[in-house]
Amino acid sequence: MGNENNAKTSIDLTKAPEKITNKDLHRSWLRWWYANEIPHTYDRMIAPSFLWGITPILRKLYKDKDDLQEAYLRHTQFYNTQAVWGGGTILGITASLEEARARALAEGKEEEAVSADVINSTKVGLMGPLAGIGDAIDSGTVQYILIAIALPWAQGGSALGALFPWVAFVILTYMYGFYFTKLGYRLGRSAASEIIGGKNIRKIIDGLSVLGLFMMGILAASYVKVSSSLQWSISGKEFVLQDILDSVLPGLLPLATVLGVYFYFSKKGLKITQALVGLSLILGVLAAIGIL
Amino acid sequence: MGQASLSSIQALIIAIWVALVESRALGYSTLNLRFSPLMTGLVVGIVMGDVSTAMTITASIQLIYMGMIAPGGAMPSEPAVATAIAVPVAILAGLQPTEAIAVAVPVGLLGSYLYQFRFFLNTFIVRLTDKYAAELNDKGLTFSIIILPTIVSFALFVPAMYIGLYYGAPVIADFTASLSGGRIFHILDAVGGGLAALGIALILQVIGKTKYLVFFLLAYFTAVMLKPLGINTVTFAIVGAIIAYLYILVISESAESN
Repeated sequence: MGNENNAKTSIDLTKAPEKITNKDLHRSWLRWWYANEIPHTYDRMIAPSFLWGITPILRKLYKDKDDLQEAYLRHTQFYNTQAVWGGGTILGITASLEEARARALAEGKEEEAVSADVINSTKVGLMGPLAGIGDAIDSGTVQYILIAIALPWAQGGSALGALFPWVAFVILTYMYGFYFTKLGYRLGRSAASEIIGGKNIRKIIDGLSVLGLFMMGILAASYVKVSSSLQWSISGKEFVLQDILDSVLPGLLPLATVLGVYFYFSKKGLKITQALVGLSLILGVLAAIGIL
Repeated sequence: MGQASLSSIQALIIAIWVALVESRALGYSTLNLRFSPLMTGLVVGIVMGDVSTAMTITASIQLIYMGMIAPGGAMPSEPAVATAIAVPVAILAGLQPTEAIAVAVPVGLLGSYLYQFRFFLNTFIVRLTDKYAAELNDKGLTFSIIILPTIVSFALFVPAMYIGLYYGAPVIADFTASLSGGRIFHILDAVGGGLAALGIALILQVIGKTKYLVFFLLAYFTAVMLKPLGINTVTFAIVGAIIAYLYILVISESAESN
């Protein structure tokens, strides 16, 4: 921070930062992608992965040992985000901020340099909102669209049912994650507003949401199995409850079950374990007394 | 397969696979490996020499774990751990796929405690990272950020899974097989078939926007109506993509004309 008595007056060429190339960005993205949640802890979350990812870039930027050490330590502080939308973008943005800071420091313009506080608050400020988008899109939508496509293959006993969603997910997220890294580096901090508020990305997210919900409808129709085994006879005539339900609206019980859990979540929040136990009990009791 | 228990090599290979996934040592690709049981099911199938049965069972397990995402990193269950135990048990005991769910759910909950214990152990390693960062020791950082956490996770997951598979799986398989065919299995079947609703409801919540629920309903009734035609999911995915595209086209044009 403002260490003025250290100010340099002339430009020292041996301390000038090297240029950051596409290859450097790719290397850092790959390192971040790989380290991602390996060193996960409660107190720092995945800060060490970010540090490990950006290390080669910091090495190229800071030729002064004290500046480099300060940069290393800055990235050991608490950091947690989603790997692709948050991680890729923030990695690129941070690289551009670090580069601006390193250049100013090398030119001896300490007061004008991007401060360490700005770098930290940019990371911390963006990690939450971008992680929210990333979790919903990557983990919640893209992954499950791929699984929904492959599930019938798995059910039919094919290895492709396992390989397709995994390989496709890895390739897709790797590619657009690196795109976000480059976008973050090119646009700096405005990359975040591009992703959160930008029109085109908004459209892609909306389109994926529609496709995701559509595929869940297909899955629910084939794989949620709730049917009644109840039957009775009145004056010699057999009544089978499921047949009656099917003549009213086919697929009523599975749909009612899905929507029932959906509205439970809407009302009570995402209490998954409660919902799991509660639904198991309800289904179990109904099956035990012969209704299901 | 008339196998009564897993050989120690089989148990070890499955345990190492689970450790690879749960230590996150295969990079971000472990997100899918950890959330979805499919690849773990495939590995179990290959190791036990019955890919086809393993995949069918795993597909049922996948359904109850559909909505699994981990905001902030922690999940209420570990599907990969659950699958690594439930699929061998189901193959050994000759269980129906929906019955395997009854084994998977409690094991998955136990797995999440192991995973969280990993965070706790990593907390000690991060002090080493601080030290190496201050020394600008890049080799040390690779050791403390990548290598050591991986070794610690392996030390945690390999023995736990090996014991569960080698000693636990035959016992659970015997027990469940002795119950087979009775009223209890009708109940497990009903619970297993219905729990798929939970995962799907969870994704509907995650994707968000109640107004989009109409697309879920559209697809649901389309699939119910067309069931006799046996249309595959790739075809449905293409139709869904076209509908999504049309929707975006319509809203962006109405936004421009306003």
